[in-house]
Parts: sequence; structure tokens; C-alpha cells
Amino acid sequence: MGVLEGRVACVTGGTRGIGRAIAEAFVREGANVVINGRSEEKGAQALAEMGAGAAATFIAGDVKQREACESLVDATVARYGRIDILVANAGGGTGHAPVADLTDEAMQDALVWNFWHTFWTMRRSLHHMIPQGSGRIMAVSSVEGKVGKPGISIYVVAKHAINGLVKSAAKEVGALGITVNALCPGAIETDVMKAEGPAAAAAMGLTYQGLLDLFASEAAIKRLNEVEDVANVAVLLASDAGGGITGSMISIDGGTSPY
Amino acid sequence: MGKLDGKVACITGGTRSIGRGMADAFLAEGASVVVNGRDEAKGQACLAEMAAGDRAAFYPGDSAKQATVEGLVDFTIERYGHLDICCLNSGGVVNTAPVAQMTDEEWALEIDWNLNHVFWGMRRALQHMIPRQSGRIIVTSSVEGKLGKPGLPGYSATKHAVNGLVKAAAQEVGTLGITVNAVLPGLVETDILRATGPDSAIAMGVGSYEALLDLFAQEAAIKRLNTVEEVAAVAVLLASDAARNMTGCLFPVDGGTMPY
Repeated sequence: MGVLEGRVACVTGGTRGIGRAIAEAFVREGANVVINGRSEEKGAQALAEMGAGAAATFIAGDVKQREACESLVDATVARYGRIDILVANAGGGTGHAPVADLTDEAMQDALVWNFWHTFWTMRRSLHHMIPQGSGRIMAVSSVEGKVGKPGISIYVVAKHAINGLVKSAAKEVGALGITVNALCPGAIETDVMKAEGPAAAAAMGLTYQGLLDLFASEAAIKRLNEVEDVANVAVLLASDAGGGITGSMISIDGGTSPY
Repeated sequence: MGKLDGKVACITGGTRSIGRGMADAFLAEGASVVVNGRDEAKGQACLAEMAAGDRAAFYPGDSAKQATVEGLVDFTIERYGHLDICCLNSGGVVNTAPVAQMTDEEWALEIDWNLNHVFWGMRRALQHMIPRQSGRIIVTSSVEGKLGKPGLPGYSATKHAVNGLVKAAAQEVGTLGITVNAVLPGLVETDILRATGPDSAIAMGVGSYEALLDLFAQEAAIKRLNTVEEVAAVAVLLASDAARNMTGCLFPVDGGTMPY
């Protein structure tokens, strides 16, 4: 018996990387999971690799669109009858630059992609979870939600904003059987990292490898984190045993953040 | 297959409450556990209840004393051949007194019980774990390690201090296969709390023990206290291979009490 038997989860950005690892861990623990992504092809590939049969469903959508976020949550309920767990995981940033050179568009895009998507999916999930009297909401934030590297302020800002939303929302629904937490991973070399890392590195005056080395050097473990690190904490938070943890910003960063 | 099969743990204050919860959870995951406590009778009762045969042992002594804490680590290594998980869990409030009224003796005991105990145990355990390049140190800190309530200056100071020790030690051994973390529980109704709570309530001006519990519950978003099981579940995660990349973490189990 898994610790999430019969639970229903929705994971944005769930076809690869951290979201995929979380979705797979939830399935292993007996949950039904909706994974979201922009690409039907990647979605189909993810489902095939997961081999979870009816326990996993892919729903395409761009989390930068409010309607897509809301219909994703509603579709999860339609597919599996309820929603117990939301993981607002999708995110990233493009157009990195130091603040003096940053464009409005880059800042806005990062906020929509990371923060607004979290807000939209959280709000919709709460509409279902509050009458239900139970739920688990997790935002995949970042160590950058606690610290602040030069050159990537669009990402730092969005992740800090997510942390604030988590703290506030947690206090609102704490007595309603719903927990709201932020997972704050250190750097992980996911596909998103490989795609955006070079530009982020350039904005910081580094090579891509130099960026990875910098992240590793800032951790006590002197290496990057892995997607499973985040998935393991997500399972704990999602389970009954995690019902006493809320409003938290949990560092999964190999000893990088100072708090 | 348990998450802690073949692992060996020692736990100060392990016969009751949070430490006992950790011990039970570790045993359920296949570990062997040495629990420490001051009371021989409670220790034997604990072993009897655990019914874990060779996988559980009791080491008596007061964890405010260096010889006990170091002795616990040494005893565990001698009994089971090695030590994987060192839980520095015992501690408490000596007297709920404001700074201006706290005595030298009360302060010194708070320091020994809550802070020095952690240092002694951590140092002894690391001396064993570092050559093995493997280990887990888990410190039971508290929300009071980030907050500061009137009447708890020693408890708050020592819990802030152990947080700092955890962070520093984590940086030292990060590449040696050893993680050092703290769990920060909100209020859990333990034997210690039942014993000291009534006096604490008066000293903190809240009138009654029940009012004290209610005060803490209201400070949490979940409007209730935390449970031993909730803290133990985090300890199992931190003790396991799954958390090999988590270190220097001040892991909250506080129902949304702390602001960071």
C-alpha cells in the first residue's frame, strides 16, 4: 500500500524534469496523476515511459494562459473525480539580464510563467479542495526563492513571490485540512536547465559549465541536486504524515540556502 | 524492504515522546536503535513495548552530561558495530523565567541540556562517521530556534544555537557522505511539556496549561499542535538514502508557525 493510494494529483510541467519525477513518485505510491505540458508529443512520450496505464493522464496546455491553468485543474477533477494534490511545478526564465539591462517583457514573462501560473492553479484547486476539506498544494520554488543571484533577477523575483503566496495562502486554509508549501530545490540539470542555462550563464558572465560549477560550489555537497531529491519531499508532504507541515519553504539544496 | 534496513541509530531522549516516535519509526523501517533516557524503568518499559528483540537497546543517563552523550555513541558502535544515524533529540525548558530573573544555574543547565549535548553527540558521532564517509546527524531543534517568546530565553537561545551548529557542520562534511539537518517542530504535547507546561503557563502569563496549548495552537496555521508521528516521518526521510542530497536544512514541522 502506497502512502498516496486513491489520491488524485495534478502536476504542471510534468512530462520531464522535476515534475516528471514527482509524478512518477506519486504513481508509485498509488496516486492517479494528471501531468501537463505544452507538447502533445512529449506528453505521449512521457506516458509511454511511465507505463502507468490509467493512473496517468496527459493534458496539454500552456500554463502561461489563465484559461489553460484553470481548465487543467477542472479536467483533473473531471478525469479522476477529485483533486487532492496540486504541484505547481512548471517554470523557468528567458531573457536573463542584469537589472539595468532587463526588459519589461523578460520580467513579465518570468512572472507569468512561474508566479501567475502558480496563483491560477492554486486558486482553482482551492475551489475544489476547500469544500472537500482536504488538499495538498505544493509550489516548486527554488533556492532562488530565498537567495538572490546576480543576473537572474527575473527568476529570483518570481520564486520569492511564490514563497510569499505560499505563506499567505497556508494561513488562510490551515484549519481546513489543506497544506500549502514551497519546495526550494538547488540547481538540478534538467532539460530546462540545459535549454536556458547557457543564456543565464552569459547574463552572469559565465560559461554554462561555469554556471553549473558555481551552483555546485555553493552547496555543502559540492554537486548539483537531483530530481528525485524533490520528489521524495513531495511524497512526504502529500501524504497524511505531511499534514502538519504548511507555509514552509523547504530547502532541498545540498546546504546552499542560509535559512 | 524498509527505508533504513541495516542502519543503526542512537537517540537521546529516545524512550518517550518525539525521540520514541523516531525510534518506533526507525524500527519499522528496519533499523536497529539505541534509545537513551534518564529513567531505567522507563527505558525497560520502552524496550518491552518496542518488542524489537536484538534491534533495540537502552542506554541510561542524563543527556545534559557529556559522559552520557559520548557514552551513548560509543555504546551504540560497540553494540552494533557502527553508527549510521545520530539523533540529538532530548532537551527542554529548565525554568520559564525572563532573562532578568534567570539564575546562573538554570542558564548553565539549559546550555548543557539543549546545546552542549548536541555538540558532544555530534562531535563523537562525526569522529566515527568521517572515516566511514557515511552518516546522518539529525538534531531536534524547535520553532523557538527561529522565534523568540518571552520567558524562554535559554530555550530560544540554545535552539537558535543548534541551528547554527547544524549549518556549520553541514558545510564541513558535505562531501563526506554525511548530512547534518535539524527538524523544527512546533509544539508537540510531550511528557516534558506536561511536566513543565503548567509552570511555563504561569510564567508566560497565560494562566493555565490548557491556555498555553491553545496559545501555541492558535499561532499555527493548522490551529492544532503537531504530533510525534509528523516529526518522526521527517526524521525517517532525513535518515534515509533518499535524503543524501539534503543537508544544512532546518526542516519545519510546525503547521505554519514560523515566518521563514
